[in-house]
Amino acid sequence: MSFIIARNRRSVKDAKRSIYGTHIAQMMFVSGETGEPSTETTSLIEHIVQQQVQEMLKECTMLATRRGSRTISTDDMMMLIRHDRAKISRLRHFLQWKDVRKTAKDSEDNKGDAGPDVGMPGGDADLQIGATAAEAGKKAAKKNKVDLVWDVQSYFSEQVPPRDDEEDEEEEEMNFATLQRLRNADERTKNMTREEYVHWSDCRQASFTFRKGKRFREWAGFGVITDAKPNDDIIDILGFLTFEIVQTLTEEALRVKHAEDLSKKGTGGDNQSRKRKREAGLFDPPEEEREPIGPSHIHEAFRRLQRPDRKSRAMLTFTNLMQKSPLRLVGNSKLKELSVITNITQI
Amino acid sequence: MTANNLQHHQSSRPSTYGAWRLSVSHASATRLRTPNLSDDGAMSAALATNNGEGGDTMAEEDPRHAVFRERYNRTESRLDAVLNGLNKPLALEDATAADGLVGDDARPPETAPPASAPKKPARTIDEDDYGDDDEDNDEDEASNASPLLCKSAPPSRINSISIPLNLQVPSPQILKPGIERKASSSSDHVKNAEEIRKNLEEEKKALEETVQRRSYTMFHTLESDRDAMLEQEKLDELDRQVESEMNSGAPNAARQDNMPRQGTLSTENLGSSSLTLKNLIAAIDKNRDRIPATQAQLRQMLGEARKNRSKWASEDKVGQEELYEACEKVLMELKAREHATPFLNKVSKREAPDYYNIIKRPMDIGTMLKKLKGVQYKSKKEFVEDLSLIWDNCLRYNSDPAHLLRKKALYMRKETEKIVPLIPDIVIRDRAEVEAEERRLQNGDDADGIEDSDDEEPIMASRGRKAPGKMAKKGGSTTRKALPTATDSSPVTENKVHTAHSVSNLKHEFLRADSDAPMEGSQNGVSTPPPGTLTPMGPHALFNGAHGSQADPSEADVHGGSLTGLAVGQTEDPDVDDIEYKTWKQVTKKDRALMAAERHRLFRNDHLNPEEPAILRTRAGMRRWTRQRQIGLGKLPSDKSNATEDSNGGTTNSRNETLAEGIEVEDDTYLPDYYDPVSAIPDINERLQWVEDGNGQVIDQSEEFLRMAPRGIFVSPQSTFTQKMEANMRQMQDVRKICAKIGVVKQMQLQSQMYQNQFQKYDPQPFIEEDAEPIVMTDDGPIMSQHTVRAALQRSVAKIFYHTGFEEFQPSALDSITDLASNYFTNLAKTLLLYREAPKVKDPVPAPDGRPSFRPRFTNEEAVLHCLSENGTDVESLDDYVKNDVDRIGTKLGVMQERMKSHLAELLRPALDSSAGADGVGAFKDGSEQFVGGDFAEEIGEDFFGFKELGLDKEFGLASLAVPLHLLQNRMYTAHQSQNANSNLSLGIIMEQPAPYEPVTINNINSQIGLVQDFFLARLESNNNEELVEDDDLPLKQRFPKPRLPPTGKITSPRKRPIREQQQLAKKKRKLEEGKAEEMANATSVPEKIRPIGKLQLKMPPPGENMGDPEKEDGSAVGMMSPESLTAA
Repeated sequence: MSFIIARNRRSVKDAKRSIYGTHIAQMMFVSGETGEPSTETTSLIEHIVQQQVQEMLKECTMLATRRGSRTISTDDMMMLIRHDRAKISRLRHFLQWKDVRKTAKDSEDNKGDAGPDVGMPGGDADLQIGATAAEAGKKAAKKNKVDLVWDVQSYFSEQVPPRDDEEDEEEEEMNFATLQRLRNADERTKNMTREEYVHWSDCRQASFTFRKGKRFREWAGFGVITDAKPNDDIIDILGFLTFEIVQTLTEEALRVKHAEDLSKKGTGGDNQSRKRKREAGLFDPPEEEREPIGPSHIHEAFRRLQRPDRKSRAMLTFTNLMQKSPLRLVGNSKLKELSVITNITQI
Repeated sequence: MTANNLQHHQSSRPSTYGAWRLSVSHASATRLRTPNLSDDGAMSAALATNNGEGGDTMAEEDPRHAVFRERYNRTESRLDAVLNGLNKPLALEDATAADGLVGDDARPPETAPPASAPKKPARTIDEDDYGDDDEDNDEDEASNASPLLCKSAPPSRINSISIPLNLQVPSPQILKPGIERKASSSSDHVKNAEEIRKNLEEEKKALEETVQRRSYTMFHTLESDRDAMLEQEKLDELDRQVESEMNSGAPNAARQDNMPRQGTLSTENLGSSSLTLKNLIAAIDKNRDRIPATQAQLRQMLGEARKNRSKWASEDKVGQEELYEACEKVLMELKAREHATPFLNKVSKREAPDYYNIIKRPMDIGTMLKKLKGVQYKSKKEFVEDLSLIWDNCLRYNSDPAHLLRKKALYMRKETEKIVPLIPDIVIRDRAEVEAEERRLQNGDDADGIEDSDDEEPIMASRGRKAPGKMAKKGGSTTRKALPTATDSSPVTENKVHTAHSVSNLKHEFLRADSDAPMEGSQNGVSTPPPGTLTPMGPHALFNGAHGSQADPSEADVHGGSLTGLAVGQTEDPDVDDIEYKTWKQVTKKDRALMAAERHRLFRNDHLNPEEPAILRTRAGMRRWTRQRQIGLGKLPSDKSNATEDSNGGTTNSRNETLAEGIEVEDDTYLPDYYDPVSAIPDINERLQWVEDGNGQVIDQSEEFLRMAPRGIFVSPQSTFTQKMEANMRQMQDVRKICAKIGVVKQMQLQSQMYQNQFQKYDPQPFIEEDAEPIVMTDDGPIMSQHTVRAALQRSVAKIFYHTGFEEFQPSALDSITDLASNYFTNLAKTLLLYREAPKVKDPVPAPDGRPSFRPRFTNEEAVLHCLSENGTDVESLDDYVKNDVDRIGTKLGVMQERMKSHLAELLRPALDSSAGADGVGAFKDGSEQFVGGDFAEEIGEDFFGFKELGLDKEFGLASLAVPLHLLQNRMYTAHQSQNANSNLSLGIIMEQPAPYEPVTINNINSQIGLVQDFFLARLESNNNEELVEDDDLPLKQRFPKPRLPPTGKITSPRKRPIREQQQLAKKKRKLEEGKAEEMANATSVPEKIRPIGKLQLKMPPPGENMGDPEKEDGSAVGMMSPESLTAA
């Protein structure tokens, strides 16, 4: 509710405040939306993302306060998405390699060896990982594992250095998720021409945070919600998460739109389409370009993503209590559900 | 006899009134047998001769044999009957014989023989079958006893069997009042009226008896109780109204003022006084011939003696008391009928505006009551006219034949016709007139005449007139002659009970008692078997069909007879209610109304009324309950006491007995026991009963049902999952142990000082799940012990806590999580239950026999899956939990343990990695460069050489610059000592100590090397040829100090001698020097400078004293805390 009210309020100064329009469009393109989304759509998404980021920051601040700290840390960030193992694993991976890259950059700064892509923090961790992996591997530098606060080592009072021979089981999880993502990307890029692919890969660079840290901090409400000087890592994580939010929203909206199209086709749709169908003939112009996702689709997608799951209701089953559901973070454990759905459809 | 009619009726009619049969087996057995019962009666007659001789033999046999034989006989006879049907007329005649005897108590004995003489043999059998009285077997008694079986059969029989019976009756004793009156002489007019009255009463008795007995086999629902109560309330209301009107009106002379409205005390008083009076009357009757007083005088005297007379009694009016008693009774009776409600009050104009246009002479029961109280009726005729006026009015006004009220009116008219004969045909006359007549009579007649007409009758009549007069208030009976005792006995106690109830007013007690008295009378026939007969079982079984008990036959007979009458009475009834149910309603209406009222009193506005006195169990109630139960089970033949009482007939001898019995019996309600649940006595569980075996020992039956609860209910089951979790927990403990050691070591490196108890040893207890204490259970099923169950759940929660990594937690946290968990699991179970109990659905595939089959809506699996999903989880997430949070944590813990171990080892011996082996030998295997290059320090990895200062640590990436732990032996040792004082100190010694050298003695000196032999010899000599002692074994003070070797390994200074030796040497030297000096002084003057030189001239110490290994460290006794001991611990 608050969200809708807010939307109305902000629609007045829409043009002025929409700062991520192009980026969001790019992200949507990467996520599978081929058309050109309207400004309204992008600003709506932007607002949703903003709301989500603010919510996240608020939660993190609460966690930090509980911990007795005034500044939020990456652990708080991780805590928010702790149920999404794949995402956690990716984040850890990303932070790990970011660390490696930083040391590498430090040590080799003087040599001027730093490639153009080395210093490219951004929403999409994959690219950087790919870019720096070979380099880091060459130097055989020890990568510091990013440990989760709730992991096994936190059970014990003494911290011991890790041994080199341990492999991370979490990576399997991540690998699966990555494969899934890559497959999706592959599907989308399969029929692209070279130019299109270049555009696509350009679009993949889109980020809320990359090289616009100050703007992002202002936009997200740093200094209001939490301390003004956040950790670099936190900004990076947020960049990653915002991209995920946009992606999830877009994918869900696409699904909504697909269902809508299907039902329209079944019932004959609106007048226009029926007319066109009647005129269908051999020399018809090619099918009209797909309509881009509209705000209504985004609305519906957001509603679906906000729908409380049974788990949160479980303890209220035999009571008459109303469930008060807070704003849910978009993108949590969505992947798993998807995999379940695909499993079902396969069956 | 006629039981088959009843049974047929019963079985053909589905009971639709919420009534169902209790003992199907019994009922069906009776039903199966009964259709031929009348034939059986005939056959019993035919087989009379057989029985006569068979009885004796049977008496000796097992009763069961007898029964079987009876059955056989019966079947045989039945076959006969079916085949030739010859016996039928016989049977009918036989029945008529019995019928002819109906209701002729008062008939002079001489009249009986003509009717029954031809069938004498048959009737004797009958007696046996009825289980007659034991006093005498002659026909009179038979006629006396049997009536109650047949009397209940009303005059107008339309039953297929009964009608021919009546037609065949040769005797003039037809039961219809009109006929009877014609047949009987006018002289015993009163007698006949009384007979009719009695007949009716007994009919009613039988009816009630039936109802009561029926109640053993049928359950009636309580739903009609409310209606009964409401009707009853209306009746009460009416009574009160009449009462108040009468009271407000002019005081009636005829009425006595002590007539209580809610007679409680006074009724009791009355009861007792009437009782005494009864005795008196009986005594007078007995000794009538010896009393020299006329009847009139006696009557007057009695009247004066009596304190409490009937309210109708009047000195001036003769016959008023009698007439009004009867009238009132009739009114009360009618009033209490089921359908009487619309006729209770005047028709209001509001209800029927045109009523008074059509009906000119309105009449209703209330008005009649008022008239009655106002003594406005002069004769029976007037009363009856008014009565029929009510019904006629109704019928006239409601001309529609289908009208409901019409039916009721018809019913009421029928009832009226039935009971009106109860009223004696009396015209009230003035006392003076009557006395004048009497005087005239007395003068005219001689003594014999008096004897005939008055001597017997008047006194009885007077008693009959007066006694009921008294009784009327307390539940009086009618003016019956034959069974005075029977009627007398019950009212007293009846009253008591009713006053206890104190629910209704006097008139209802009257009603109650009225319905009670017949009950007793009807029990006549259900008497004990005659003792004279040796084989009581035989005839009974023969007659009635082999029932196991004696009670059954008689019962069957009784209700058979009465029910037939009932059926007759009701078949014409416009109402279509099930007869049985109707009878039930009718008879028990009053009681049920009382019960319902009582029940209602307990409530106030849908809530229990706390002010109301509690319902208490009474002894009488319990006794009644047991009795009813026994009767119902057929154990008790019936009310034996009453039967014997009746068998005593009109004699007054049994007064005391009956009194006692009456008190004992107390409240004789017709309501079955389920109306009085408070009084129910539960059965003792068979297993708890006190049973003794043959030796008088109590058999302990506890073993059969007491058992130990199975063990292991309150521990977690040994599944793979639990095993995994427990393994993880154990591993966590292990890792924590190592972790604690690392902590200690790190602390020791930081601290310069140690305290005695600074490091507490981490020694976790292994997890053991204790089962609950052994529990004895009496039954299967879960153990409902909230405390224990909660504790078990708490432990499980705690386990999960630990498994999640919490080593300790607060009890409050544990509590709240336990609450949540139990809540969640309750929800889970509830959901599962919902799914399991979902309505069944039709199976698409019908069952093999063609009927549609139903199956549960959800299979077990579906139910579980739904249930999980409803509660926000699914199999996948459970699986995920096991995989990620149990399995993976297990491997992670394994890794962590390895890490911890290696880290600890590194902390303790940085140079020696785990491949070095226990004694560190392995460290030298990699080419042993250290020995070649001597660069141990590099492996030590400490700023031992000042590497840190040189910045070499960064250059080489050294991990730690702390002093290696194994160089801090003393600290480690003391810490180790303080932690485990009793641990083995020889942990560090891996090699065994070599055997000590053989001491050098004078004997084995030759085996030593030749070079040192002289040295040894010298030592031995100085030691007095004792064996030599090794340096190390010397006492501490004699030992030589060990030389310290600097890191360079060069011995820079000569070895010091022991102090004492040094002193001795010094003395010697001094002496020597002094001696020299003296010599020098003596010879030449030597300068003092030589002294210092002399000091430097140290002789080499004796080589033997140097034998100890100088390299050997002194602290060999001080065992170091080896890393192995730490890692191994």
